[in-house]
Amino acid sequence: MKTNTNRRDFISSASAATLGALAAGYPSASAAVKAKAQSLNSTADTVIVLWMAGGMASTDTFDPKRYVPYEKGLDPKRVLSTFPAIDTAVDGLKFTEGLEKTAAVMDRGTLIKTYRAADLGFILHSRHQYHWHTAYEPPLTVAAPHIGSWISRSLGPLNPDLPAFIDIGQTFDSGEKESLKAFHTAGFLGSEFAPFFLVEPDQAVEAVKPPGGMSDARFARRYQAYKKLLADSPIQRHGSEYQRQSLLRSIDNAHRLLSSAKARKAFDLSLEPKESYETYKVGGRFGLGCLLARRLTEAGARFIEVTHGYYPFKYWDTHDNGHTRMKELKAMIDAPIAQLVLDLEERKLLDRTLIVVASEFSRDMMMEGKPEKRVKDQVNVPPKIDGLQHYGMHRHFTGAGSVLLFGGGVKKGFVYGETADERPCTTVKDPVTTEQLHASIYRALGISHDHHYNVEQRPFYVTPDGTAEPVMDLFG
Amino acid sequence: MNQMMKLSFLWLAMTLLSIFPVSAATPVPREIPAPAESNIDFAADIKPILERSCTKCHANGKRKGGFSIDHLHSFIGGGDSGPAVIEGKSAESLLIKLVLSNDPDERMPSKGDRLTLADIAVLRAWIDQGLKWEKGFTFAKFRNAPVAPRKVELPPGAETNPVDRLLAPYYRKHKVDPAVSASDRIFVRRVFLDTIGLLPSPAELAAFRDDERPDKHVHLVGGLLNDKQNYSAHWITFWSDCFRNSYTRQYHGGGGKRITDWLKKSLEENKPYDRFVRELINPVGGSDGFIKGVAWRGTVNASQVVEMQAAQNVAQVFLGLNIKCASCHDSFINDWTLKQTYALASIFSEGPMDVHRCNKPIGEKATPAFLYPEIGNIDPAAPRNQRVKQLSEIITSPKNGRLARTVVNRLWAIFFGRGLVEPVDEMDNPTWNQDLLDWLAVDFVDHGYNLKHTMKLLLTSKAYHRPSVALDEDDGDYIFEGPVVRRLSAEQFLDGLDQVIVAASGDASNRKTGRTRAGLRNLDRLMRTLGRPKRDVVVTRRESTATTAQLIELSNGKPLADLMVRGGKAWGGAGHGSGAIVDALFANAISRAPSEQEMKSARQAVGEPANAQGIEDLLWMLSLHPEFQLIH
Repeated sequence: MKTNTNRRDFISSASAATLGALAAGYPSASAAVKAKAQSLNSTADTVIVLWMAGGMASTDTFDPKRYVPYEKGLDPKRVLSTFPAIDTAVDGLKFTEGLEKTAAVMDRGTLIKTYRAADLGFILHSRHQYHWHTAYEPPLTVAAPHIGSWISRSLGPLNPDLPAFIDIGQTFDSGEKESLKAFHTAGFLGSEFAPFFLVEPDQAVEAVKPPGGMSDARFARRYQAYKKLLADSPIQRHGSEYQRQSLLRSIDNAHRLLSSAKARKAFDLSLEPKESYETYKVGGRFGLGCLLARRLTEAGARFIEVTHGYYPFKYWDTHDNGHTRMKELKAMIDAPIAQLVLDLEERKLLDRTLIVVASEFSRDMMMEGKPEKRVKDQVNVPPKIDGLQHYGMHRHFTGAGSVLLFGGGVKKGFVYGETADERPCTTVKDPVTTEQLHASIYRALGISHDHHYNVEQRPFYVTPDGTAEPVMDLFG
Repeated sequence: MNQMMKLSFLWLAMTLLSIFPVSAATPVPREIPAPAESNIDFAADIKPILERSCTKCHANGKRKGGFSIDHLHSFIGGGDSGPAVIEGKSAESLLIKLVLSNDPDERMPSKGDRLTLADIAVLRAWIDQGLKWEKGFTFAKFRNAPVAPRKVELPPGAETNPVDRLLAPYYRKHKVDPAVSASDRIFVRRVFLDTIGLLPSPAELAAFRDDERPDKHVHLVGGLLNDKQNYSAHWITFWSDCFRNSYTRQYHGGGGKRITDWLKKSLEENKPYDRFVRELINPVGGSDGFIKGVAWRGTVNASQVVEMQAAQNVAQVFLGLNIKCASCHDSFINDWTLKQTYALASIFSEGPMDVHRCNKPIGEKATPAFLYPEIGNIDPAAPRNQRVKQLSEIITSPKNGRLARTVVNRLWAIFFGRGLVEPVDEMDNPTWNQDLLDWLAVDFVDHGYNLKHTMKLLLTSKAYHRPSVALDEDDGDYIFEGPVVRRLSAEQFLDGLDQVIVAASGDASNRKTGRTRAGLRNLDRLMRTLGRPKRDVVVTRRESTATTAQLIELSNGKPLADLMVRGGKAWGGAGHGSGAIVDALFANAISRAPSEQEMKSARQAVGEPANAQGIEDLLWMLSLHPEFQLIH
């Protein structure tokens, strides 16, 4: 079974059905708010961030350099990549082995080779992740909103029956959890724009269903009985009141989502054809997250982030065994990313959906920080590599990292920026900062980089001081 | 501008000036200097010139000749003689012409020292380089409320409570009927939640109703404030939000030290507020987390070093002052300057601090000083521990009326839903009742900084006893008519539900939740969703409007669903009939009996005979009932 519903059909029908209730819909930006926020022509309606939490080494993924195979006694200084390069669908552009499927769809996307992470001193993943997701370097006196919250606040949901900002796969039960929580919020924008968390993609439907064990019938009955009780309550006869209204409106919204067959269908991975499900499932939780993102995009989601979650020293946080682990990591992401691109393309959604594949910084075998701003090494690299555990990109490198972009108006088969072919494999041309990346994502959505809301009587901009410019070269 | 360049440039300009002395008598304009070649920075290069020479007549609301430089747009727009500047064309700009002029009728500034040619060269460069203005900056000046305490004589009148006495003229002026008051049920529920964060049990409500003493509300308030354990368990939430006292946070690099034990004890013994503040600023055992702040691993922005955090948080929490902007540059939203903020921060610093503007050192060291020198000063030569001690004493000196005004305003805002001054962290803003604010502040100090004294004063006033009013968020013209409807905090909500469930055991003992009070438990998902902050930034007031995300969590989240199951089991196993269960749940949850119609609907939900699922569902309905969720 293929889902043939065109998203725009879905949205227009959903909107028609809820037209009268739109004002009371899921925290929706009014036309005026949206018009103010969306001052530029947009090239995308939806953004999907595929987040490689932990620091993805670019020379072992999307920006191969000299490959030196493992052998005992190897001088680590000689190694730039631990995988051979492979061809992509774009002439002259190479990826590393293990990314064949993504390589094959690169004619639909843009590779930024020169993402430069900030200089925050001693490397701390959560701080860099905070910066990447908010464009602001922590700590701050005002809680900065996640980019998804900015977008949610500025544009509202695309389909008012769905939360505007959906966050898939991040848990908060491992190290640095408090710091992770610090940026998974709407900050000063207020919790109305906070992420809607779905930890396990294959259980996502539970988040839009009655609580465990409760039948739909009982859930509906409970809600009806509640409404009846309120109607009977003496307080209902006392006119309106702001607090009560916001409470009742929110309950209505919640029940609309929790009773919406369409929403539930979008969240329910068990409805996916087996073949398609299996394609994504090779990527585990991350892969299924990509599948869920596709289904939610079809249903009219506005901003989705997918990650396998950040866990210190796990996944992309390769402090050891980098090469071995990278094989598994690439196997985890390759098919799902490619399939997501192809599926959205087939559904004619790719043009208006911007996919961003990114990580907080890159890695290198030797260098911690960036050449002009080295920081304290956190990983011991022996003078000679005597075991596979030392073969890999184990140090945190902020000089150049890869970001993949697909759809949403970005150029097809395009490479932005140049990196050095010898260590340090840093940016030599066209650096892209986190702030510029944000400005570019906002630009795709038609939001100016100096769009802002006021907090404590001062403007707070989507990019610091509203100064970061989008990289217009990225767009076709 | 590069410092070396700037110096040599100045030297050059001065030399030129000495070679070509300016005669003010001749109407021939001075020769136009070439634009400066450096990159112009508005704050460093332009602002000082404009401040020195233009703001007296053309800023802060003054617009001589129709010209105001308060904002960039007004600057460009110019005055009666047309646009002041043309971007990119300094030589053709009126402003440059006027500052060069020697004609007494047109020269600018019209009085006082001329702009130097060096200044004019910088202005030219600024115009030519695109008139970069700092975002949001304005020359408009801001209101500064008096800091000294002010004694107010109580007006004559029949009211016994001074708050009511002070409000009487206000009511007359605004035609507010002073006589109305809320029902016993509304009042008792309100005052329980405001003092100890718990719901009144049906027995406690009945006892109040049956009490025939005319001053029974005074007895009730007094009794509640004396319930030390529950008072402490409730108020620790507010103060932990203020002091960023997270129970769980561990940051890499240290910091985020907990002050829970100290705070709990201080609340239990109702520590006088001046001592409370002194101990937080100049820590004793266990109270050092507030000043120590959060030290992140790696490098941080100069405005976020721990000394700066201490300055910002002391100013915000204790003085209702926002110096966050002024930690980076002179503030755009009040009169605080970068140097004043650094002076305060450096009190907490071991060595002298380098003043940074927007994270770049300006080549100056800060001298430790307090924000209001008229109250007292810091000995900059003293070692750190003595400076901090001096600060703690100056801030809590009776001469500092701001400390008391800030905290009595916080109490007022908590109990009445809206402060005498708003926002509560902007104490320079005007109040809707200056006499009331000033009287309460002085009275608080006169009573030994006793928080419970002022609480009792407020809670036993007729003002607090009035029926609640609805208030839209954006209501500009505020008139006090009674406490604003508020929403239960996450902690009050969970404790209240626990109380309703525990009541099934028939245990007559009141004020029991069956587990550790929510305010003392670690942050969990449900509380986070319901608005308990992570305490990484100072929070002095929580959001109180419901959100869709919250109601999704309350409708299908596991933690609440589990609680409902517990409630269903507890009440289902208590051996009551349906009607008795409905009565009991209504009485415990919303402090009243159901109407006939409500009883009918509720019994239908509960089932005949009552079943656990039906009870769960009724409990859920009541937990989301506006009469449960809101404090009226």
